[in-house]
Amino acid sequence: MAYSKKVLDHYSNPRNVGSLDKHASTVGTGVVGAPECGDVMKLQIQVEGDRIVDAKFKTFGCGSAIASSSLATEWIKGKTLDEALAIQNTQIVEELSLPPVKIHCSVLAEDAIKAAVNDYKSKQAPKEQQS
Amino acid sequence: MAACTNCGAELETPLACGACGKLLEPARELTPFETLGLEPSFELDARELRRRLLRASRLVHPDFHGSSGAGEREAAERASARLNSAHELLADPAARADWLVRTLGGPSESEQRQMPQAFLMEVLEWNETLDAAREAAPGSPERAALAGLATNLREQREDVLAGLARLLVPLPPKGSPTLSRARAQLNALRYLATTLAQIDALALEQASPHEA
Repeated sequence: MAYSKKVLDHYSNPRNVGSLDKHASTVGTGVVGAPECGDVMKLQIQVEGDRIVDAKFKTFGCGSAIASSSLATEWIKGKTLDEALAIQNTQIVEELSLPPVKIHCSVLAEDAIKAAVNDYKSKQAPKEQQS
Repeated sequence: MAACTNCGAELETPLACGACGKLLEPARELTPFETLGLEPSFELDARELRRRLLRASRLVHPDFHGSSGAGEREAAERASARLNSAHELLADPAARADWLVRTLGGPSESEQRQMPQAFLMEVLEWNETLDAAREAAPGSPERAALAGLATNLREQREDVLAGLARLLVPLPPKGSPTLSRARAQLNALRYLATTLAQIDALALEQASPHEA
């Protein structure tokens, strides 16, 4: 199967690969996986106020999974948490021209964003209760 | 088990009669268990399964059914193929459990893909170990770490299979919540199998280096 140009671009030059300190209170970490193919994706966000100032990912999987997470980190940087949560997997499918068999890769990226935001929110929740 | 429609003898497999040798056309699609004359169960004696495969294979062997014409021979080939695919599924505990969970109305792997964060973190670490080994020179500590990881993953696979047996023996009723717990174990098996396959592939590369 042929990958689209955009997938190949993200695959050969992935943006924002790496890790943030998962113990930091300003960092949210989401790890998701697709049991069907064994792909696993970690997406982390650094948050200031309610804005995502940095995002990193690490994905072990096919080219489409890597491209989907790379694109996701590009898109969420600079967005507010709510804006990031509004990102739909269909937008990723469209941007990367993913074929039907690779749609689950985009779902994985959407799930990873949501998991990272939820992790960040759950880290903040106890503090808010205290103050 | 049903009786032969030709001679009335009791059947070991619905595909052919052991007494009169007649090839039988089952009226409907057979389950893998039915094909080998077994009741659905996660517990399966591998030797018994093999014995049933060999006996049934002899009964439906195309060489014994070729003399009655091409149609008969083709039917024998179809029956042999059915037997082999049923055996292949039943002989693999993961495939067997997957079939049982689906058939009992449990969630499929795409319907229930969520796994605990701690487990996924672990999968990520396995992959990091693999990546480090891929980039390291043969004989390096990174490559050596792979052997330890493989042992660890094989042990985990045994644990998961034992866990599956606890969930699926005796078989839970249709739609039982136990099936979704079994699916989580099957998902874990998939991650373990994928990583183990990658470790094996890397070991093969090391055994026969052909880098440019």
